Amino acid sequence: MIAPLIAFSLVGLIIFYVQNLVLFPYIHLRLLALLVFYVGLRPSLGLPLALGLALGCLQDSYATTPFGVHLGASLVLVAMARYFRRRLLLQQLGFQAVASLVALAVQEVYLQFVTFMLSYQPLFPHDLTGVHTMEILGTAALGPLMHLLVQGMEDSLRRLGWRPRSDPMPYQPFGE
Amino acid sequence: MHQPGRYRTPLLLALTLLLVFTVLSLSLKSSPALRKVQGLVVSMTAPGLEGLEYVGRSAKQLWLGYFYLVGVRRQNAELQRQLEEFKQREVHFQEAEQALTRLETLLDLKRQVALPVIGARVIAYDPTLWSRAAIINQGKAQGVKEGLPVLAPQGIVGRIVGIYPEYAKVMLIVDRKSSADAMVQRTRIRGMLKGKGGNRCSLEFVPKNADVQVGDLVLASGLVGLYPKGLVFGKVTAANKKNPGVFQEIEVSPNVDLSTLEEVLVVKVATLAFPEP
Repeated sequence: MIAPLIAFSLVGLIIFYVQNLVLFPYIHLRLLALLVFYVGLRPSLGLPLALGLALGCLQDSYATTPFGVHLGASLVLVAMARYFRRRLLLQQLGFQAVASLVALAVQEVYLQFVTFMLSYQPLFPHDLTGVHTMEILGTAALGPLMHLLVQGMEDSLRRLGWRPRSDPMPYQPFGE
Repeated sequence: MHQPGRYRTPLLLALTLLLVFTVLSLSLKSSPALRKVQGLVVSMTAPGLEGLEYVGRSAKQLWLGYFYLVGVRRQNAELQRQLEEFKQREVHFQEAEQALTRLETLLDLKRQVALPVIGARVIAYDPTLWSRAAIINQGKAQGVKEGLPVLAPQGIVGRIVGIYPEYAKVMLIVDRKSSADAMVQRTRIRGMLKGKGGNRCSLEFVPKNADVQVGDLVLASGLVGLYPKGLVFGKVTAANKKNPGVFQEIEVSPNVDLSTLEEVLVVKVATLAFPEP
């Protein structure tokens, strides 16, 4: 699990850099959340959990919200991804994008609730609700691209010799 | 027979919840261990951002300064800088004039102008909408401390809330956790300037009978010792007296564009009394 964790963490770090240096302050998207969600749809559970922790720590370190807010939000996404993976057949990109939209909405509710409980902001402040909604819709629309990115990363890792636990063992005939 | 994986999911869920609540409660208690984790993450990731920002800035400078209208851009930047300087001077002059009319015999200009400062470059922002913070490339090693105010040529930027060996975290004045004592320049009415997220602040606890108009400058009052007196927070962009309650709703737009900061000054004098971790 270490190799894919390092690889996906590096992808997350690059996305964070791009957000910081290119997109900010004009475009607000939750690309790290989307990455965690799509990695959460893969067979392994340990990988998205560890990735969620790493990327949550990264976001918390740059924010003024109490440490743990983004970390918890990442874990909410992992939980949603596992739920969708278990309950629904998410073979098509469209359904995956809809599932990511729902997951991002649940994450938003969690964040609103936690920041409200920590007296950081009022519950669903009307001035930023529109921006948050656009951010979530825009992020979910990029789901198919994120799927391709995660798939591409996995294929690259497989070519380098990594095999997920769910993959069948390669056939080895007896007596050889 | 129990299946080995039967309790895996509830166990993971319980452990996860335990982890999140532990981290959050430690964070609320300003745990030194969490500060170290934050410092480690920022120290490990910020150099990459700093390097990329430098490469981008160099490439941009090469393009803008050489290929694109050589000379004109430099002249424009110089004129912009002079204009900002004159604007800031104008504010100081207005302040001095008002102080004279109130028969103040001594005007401590030195306190307003000659402050000991540390120059810093903004290398990163919190790209999420949940908080408004920036990372600067000066830290504990350069003498930066928690609570120090951070300024730009146009006005107040925020204050230091986290220090790491080579970097520091600045909470911008628009952050929802930010609050400071402020006053309206024209009428000297005081209020509490609070961040509202996004790119706005509000001046709170100003009574409805107080004279506040759109366009009024909002300055630091100098009380509480957080921001030096007379420095500019921003301008009043809306004042509503028709709301319920005894106070006005006053919206303040920061004088500084807090999303495109490049160089800032950390003032080494005014500090908050933060408890040592």
